Amino acid sequence: MRNPFRTPFAAVFVNEVRLGIKRIAPYALMIFFSSNAVLWWGWGPAVERGWATNSDFYIHRNFGGFNFILGLPIFTAIMMGDPVVKDFRLGVDSLIFSKPVGRGSYLLGKFFGNFFVLVCCQSAFAITFFLLQWVPFSGMVVLPVRITPYFKHFFFVVVVSHLVLAAFYFAAGTITRNAKIVYGLAACFYPTLIAFEVLLKELPVGVRVALDPLGFNFHSGVDGWHQSAAFLNQYVVSYGPYAYANRVSMIIISSILLFIVYRRFGIDGQAQVTRSDDLITLTLSRAPEPVPYTLESASSYGLVDTAIEASPAGDRRQLPRVTPTRGPGTTFFKMLAAVGVEFRLLRAERSLLILVPLVILLSIFDLAFFRVVPEISYSVTYASGTAKALLLFLVGLIVFYTGEAMHRDREVKVQPIVWSMPAQNSVLLLSKCFATALLALSLLAAVGLIAMVIQVLRGHTPVDLSAYVIVYGIVVVPSIIFLTALVVALNSVLRNKYLVYVVAIATGAGLLYLYNIGNNHWSYNPLLYRLWTYANVTSKPILLCRLYCLALAVVFLAVAHLFFPRRTRT
Amino acid sequence: MLIIKDLTKTYPGGVQALSGVSLNLSPGVFGLLGPNGSGKSTLMKIVATLLEPDSGTIEMNGADLVRRKDHTRRMLGYLPQDFGLYPTLTAWQMLDYLAKLKGITNKRERHALIEALLDRVNLASEPTQPLEEFSGGMRQRLGIAQALIGEPELIIVDEPTAGLDPQERVRFHNLISETGSDKTVVILSTHIVSDVSNLCSHMAIIQKGRIVASCTPREAVDQLKESVWEASVPREKLPAFKARFNVISSRMFDGEARLRVISKRQRPSEEFTPATPILEDYYLDLVNQAAM
Repeated sequence: MRNPFRTPFAAVFVNEVRLGIKRIAPYALMIFFSSNAVLWWGWGPAVERGWATNSDFYIHRNFGGFNFILGLPIFTAIMMGDPVVKDFRLGVDSLIFSKPVGRGSYLLGKFFGNFFVLVCCQSAFAITFFLLQWVPFSGMVVLPVRITPYFKHFFFVVVVSHLVLAAFYFAAGTITRNAKIVYGLAACFYPTLIAFEVLLKELPVGVRVALDPLGFNFHSGVDGWHQSAAFLNQYVVSYGPYAYANRVSMIIISSILLFIVYRRFGIDGQAQVTRSDDLITLTLSRAPEPVPYTLESASSYGLVDTAIEASPAGDRRQLPRVTPTRGPGTTFFKMLAAVGVEFRLLRAERSLLILVPLVILLSIFDLAFFRVVPEISYSVTYASGTAKALLLFLVGLIVFYTGEAMHRDREVKVQPIVWSMPAQNSVLLLSKCFATALLALSLLAAVGLIAMVIQVLRGHTPVDLSAYVIVYGIVVVPSIIFLTALVVALNSVLRNKYLVYVVAIATGAGLLYLYNIGNNHWSYNPLLYRLWTYANVTSKPILLCRLYCLALAVVFLAVAHLFFPRRTRT
Repeated sequence: MLIIKDLTKTYPGGVQALSGVSLNLSPGVFGLLGPNGSGKSTLMKIVATLLEPDSGTIEMNGADLVRRKDHTRRMLGYLPQDFGLYPTLTAWQMLDYLAKLKGITNKRERHALIEALLDRVNLASEPTQPLEEFSGGMRQRLGIAQALIGEPELIIVDEPTAGLDPQERVRFHNLISETGSDKTVVILSTHIVSDVSNLCSHMAIIQKGRIVASCTPREAVDQLKESVWEASVPREKLPAFKARFNVISSRMFDGEARLRVISKRQRPSEEFTPATPILEDYYLDLVNQAAM
């Protein structure tokens, strides 16, 4: 019988785990998840409300939140979207498919290897939360140590939910061979899920539970805010038949997705290797007679090698003389050229085809489809509403596309050519910064324009252009400059875009949490989230805050310049 | 004149890539031969300002190339061994961008240069094709074209003929031999001996980060005059011959092994007849000796 640990599936699985172990991102995720477990344990609502932190209710509640709040679906997309694409990008595909590895073994090994790494990262949250039972904390209610609920709810709520998401992203990435489409789908996840949950609300409880992909409705009968702590601490979360049907259906959907991948996956330009006995066996005894190769002819590769033939006239055409210039004017010229190319490359990102319409739609959604109550005027409400909605999307957009721009040269291997050109580091760095900022500004202009059109279509006239100019100019534009500079600096210092994504998401989530619980100050809120209204936007304190924001941008660009790995002098 | 003096480089992992490399390069095509992992690309990257040496100096016409990186980059044309291009740009757009980074601000001059370059590398007929659709050979040719932008005084081409078909290889040889002026230093790094014998007026062989020989190809071959011998021997006797003689190459033909052996002015045994030395004999002999 074949040793299961020596099958091609096991080899691919182990290799994927090994590759995962050598990446920084899983460790960063683990730290991020563990620190959130500590935060939710000690500084969540449990202490204040007297909920036991190891009660069934609280464990289930936290895993439900963990499933959704920390950007877990996006991390799942990042980890599961490109395992196969990466092989094709690195050119390893031909090496692998020339071996007797079946399609099924390869795909399953890839999927489960990466899913295993993902579950290990997720389990950092569960394990930390589990271990905290032994840590004393003032005012915290703790029940006798328990083990099973942690594993039960983690598996039931987190692992199965993310199995189906992982299969979906893996299928999308493998079939399209484009990781950016997966990222686009991941960006669509939250709005789609929220819309889906809103639709589910109208349906009976059983159907709601059965159709809920992340298991939010599994114990919706218990409302933590309106029940006593004593009741909640003794409450046992049990899953009904609908919940089991839901989980089984998720596993079946995952299997169907993987089966679709198996059917649709092909090796471009090569015959698909499905069974080892389909391979042609070469043996020396069957080899044809060798073509004679005499040493006389071989001698032609020495000094008397293929003599250089006279070139055709076209080849001997002299290259025209050029006069390279220097100085500040030339530097500016180079900067414009670099910004032009970077912006062109950004525009060619296919994920923008999904993201831009989605961001525009979500930014104007309220204004287009709901009742608009004018503040000072309709234009002010439209400008303020779009600015507030757009700002959050801009954070994600800038983090993602600045990362792409900063690492593109290395990834497409054009870096040695570009870096050997006589262009200052400032040209290479700022061009990426400006190109991303230009992309964000274009989006802002598009949103503003569409908001004005909606204003006219809904009869909310007159359109006051100055309101848009003031709100966008004072609030959004400096924020865009600040964000791009910050992300350029992060990429320059950390030198790994995935690490930057994790740091950015973690910092963003942490700051948002702080702002929402009332710790909101301009010194650590340069985007002025919830700190401005139209009435005070032109006041001196707000203008000073914008200057502070721009000053920080300058500091970040200086840091980026300092840490940029290309040297201009020894 | 390019002068490389006592260049050393050790990578953070502890691998010593270069150990006291010194070379004097006059204008013309200089061949740097060496097996894979011998330190060729590290040396090329240092000269191309992409890597910092641990110690040593590089000077060209009195200018310190290690310290004055911007000055070096202005006079440099570099074709890396392993490079890529922006996939969504066309060949024209790519060259235009690089020419702008070189500081060629005059639009008419720049466009004339790009057209001439595309013509020289036989890519003029692909004006709108995005680079992601280029074959390996086409990308290599575009790489060569970009290295010639802006009349560089120092051209570094690292493994330039990898991926070129025989016709394109001859074309490349023509291009390089016609590019060199009395001011230009061309460094051709390769492990293909015939590239060096076809193109280079001077050459050096690098092995394990050290220069083990530096001479002209003619001098190299002359050193082996009356020292190369060949013989056909039965396959089963091959190990015995390898043990007795300095075998530099063996090829199987018609059931027999054809050996080339180096023996200084003395016939190794009766089976051997004298052979005309070629540059590959010199290279293999030196690399084998250095490996021992």
